[in-house]
Amino acid sequence: MSRSLAITVNALGLYGIALVLAAAFAAQLLLKELPCPLCLLQRIQFALLAIGPILNIRHGPRPSHYALSLLTAAAGAAFAMRQVLLHIMPGDPGYGSALFGYHYYTWAFIGFAVAIILIAAMLLFDAQFKEDAGATPLPLGGFARVAVWLVIALTALNVLSTVLECGFAACPDNPVEYELLKRGR
Amino acid sequence: MEFTALFLAVTVVLLAGWLGPRVAALALFAVTLIACVATYLHHATDALKLSF
Repeated sequence: MSRSLAITVNALGLYGIALVLAAAFAAQLLLKELPCPLCLLQRIQFALLAIGPILNIRHGPRPSHYALSLLTAAAGAAFAMRQVLLHIMPGDPGYGSALFGYHYYTWAFIGFAVAIILIAAMLLFDAQFKEDAGATPLPLGGFARVAVWLVIALTALNVLSTVLECGFAACPDNPVEYELLKRGR
Repeated sequence: MEFTALFLAVTVVLLAGWLGPRVAALALFAVTLIACVATYLHHATDALKLSF
């Protein structure tokens, strides 16, 4: 895999992350299901996954950049598994609604596991790293730039959303309404 | 509140990765990931009915 192809694949990865963040927002806004603290932590890990692809696009592919996303995905999978285990007892309805039979935290675990597999697969292609010493300018097209700014914008929107949801105190364990909007009434 | 701070930190990490020097992005990433794990461990010891 050439360096330019690796950058395109990294940009695609960013679009994937953006899709996950947008789907989480859609569930929050359309279904009016506010994310719990552990759900927020998983969402944070999805956003932080983007650091590897962003550095790969900006500075060229390096194994260390992939390692950052791998560490993030491992942490995210652990957080998601914690929530799966919290609701594993028979009869437990789970937190929030289910999508295609699985709750969001189960999908999050699957998403982080898939991320780990895909990053490991990307690391198999050594050719993308050999060109690193060439110091040639990276071909940064609009496709990659839009992907980067899309993920950054969605992460910044989450800052706003979390302020509205939690206010300036600890987030409720089972949030049902936006704390800041409640105070304004 | 801590989750707002973490989202803000991630936004800064991503901006540093795109606009800033590589070393700064790596350092900010390390701090943010440690903060995430610390937040998780802090809440993981709480006795709660749902989630945390």
